[in-house]
Amino acid sequence: MAAGSHLRLSGPSWFAVSVVGSLGGVWLSEKMLVRYTDPPPGGFWWVAAGLALIFLAGFAAWKLARAGVYSWLLPLAAINLGILSPGRAGDELSWRLEWGVMGLAWTLAAVLVFARLLRRSDELERRLHLEGAFCGLAAGLVGSIAYALFENRLPELRAQWVAVWLLLSWWAGYLMMAFRYGWRA
Amino acid sequence: MKNRLRVLRAERDWSQAELADRLSVTRQTVNAIENGRYDPSLPLAFAVGRVFALRIEDVFTPDTEPPPARQPPGQTT
Repeated sequence: MAAGSHLRLSGPSWFAVSVVGSLGGVWLSEKMLVRYTDPPPGGFWWVAAGLALIFLAGFAAWKLARAGVYSWLLPLAAINLGILSPGRAGDELSWRLEWGVMGLAWTLAAVLVFARLLRRSDELERRLHLEGAFCGLAAGLVGSIAYALFENRLPELRAQWVAVWLLLSWWAGYLMMAFRYGWRA
Repeated sequence: MKNRLRVLRAERDWSQAELADRLSVTRQTVNAIENGRYDPSLPLAFAVGRVFALRIEDVFTPDTEPPPARQPPGQTT
């Protein structure tokens, strides 16, 4: 990195930083917080490191949005949705509510931010996302019918995986359209 | 649709990024239009004409000639 070019990374690099931050931060925090009644030595610092990684993941996502390469937010959202796993919350109503409200609030905020970014983009990029989202919807329809045909032999479907599938197929559709129109982020 | 964007831009010594700035679009969109991969919307086509001080048909031309206009019934040539 040249002197003076502070943190000037490309879209894929910020995406990688955010993924590593999310996965590492959640793993570290979980590892420590499940033992909050019997913390290991130096447990506080591990939790702090986990939170710092999660903060780094958020910073990298913000940089992606700022750099105008926000299509990378789609696979990032899919990965983070996979980590969130609201279904893992305990059966107690208070846990369910806490996880549900937290998950919904973050999802709603992410959708609003993405819609705002999309409104500010130019007509070709909006078209790429429209056609990409259509591909995602089509993949969702095909996937759900295919699952229904073989559901007695497949593992139980979780709503969260449907959302992950839709996001990833939307992104795949976006990439296909970007290739078709010769659009490089 | 064919276009003369690259030629017009070269005549004015503008880069793709410079033209994109003038049109308030991304450089990638200018590139896609120049390479004939994307046909711009009517407002963007008008903006292109305005930037080069030309009419739309002086910048963009259809790939094929449009079919001849149908004559109103009862008229013969």
